[in-house]
Amino acid sequence: MTVRVLLFGPQAALAGASAVDVTVADAPTPTGLLAALSTQHPSLADSLGASRLAVNHEFADPASAIQPGDEVALIGMVSGG
Amino acid sequence: MNAQVTVSLRSSPLSPPSQQPSQRSSLGGGARLVFEGVVRGQEAGRELRALAYQAYEPMTTRELRRLAEEVATAHGVLGVHVEHSVGTVPVGGVSFRLVILGKHRAEAIAACDAFIARMKQHVPLWKLPVWADADADSDGASNDDRPSDQPGG
Repeated sequence: MTVRVLLFGPQAALAGASAVDVTVADAPTPTGLLAALSTQHPSLADSLGASRLAVNHEFADPASAIQPGDEVALIGMVSGG
Repeated sequence: MNAQVTVSLRSSPLSPPSQQPSQRSSLGGGARLVFEGVVRGQEAGRELRALAYQAYEPMTTRELRRLAEEVATAHGVLGVHVEHSVGTVPVGGVSFRLVILGKHRAEAIAACDAFIARMKQHVPLWKLPVWADADADSDGASNDDRPSDQPGG
């Protein structure tokens, strides 16, 4: 399946896009999706260590399964204030 | 008693404090602490024109509220009121305001520090520099090799 991952702030700048597509096996875990993101979008790789995924606007359990239609966002290097 | 909590995202620099009744020391407290984050004129030695803030709604507001409630409970304060800008805030503008109401100063100061530290780690809010020497035809929010991950307030 293909998962579209929303990007924000410095990571959107690194990728030059507000979202990227990642090809993964069906029902990936957030951990698996981050690994695939690192491989398929190397510009983001160095920033992923400090990143988490949000699924449907909630921080995702690393062992949960991402389903088709879920809204997936990369939440990394937050710096508000 | 549950603390009073309000959260607002605003698409411009923040105006002076609202002085709403909920933000006054009208809850029996003796301390009203106001922290404002102001956009600095430089970052890493380079002149800034502004910072461009980005949120991910509704998650950003939900996480700010969740954090405010957790901090209020943990520190026993009476009120936590949060305002944050989204969009472009010029140098000198206020992009973040936190008002803490407490019975005494000690818990209000501790709550303020705890909130800001955790916000910078957990709440989806980002900023990008708008450099003073950026091309005038662009918004100046560069894609160069220096993305900002440092506090702006």
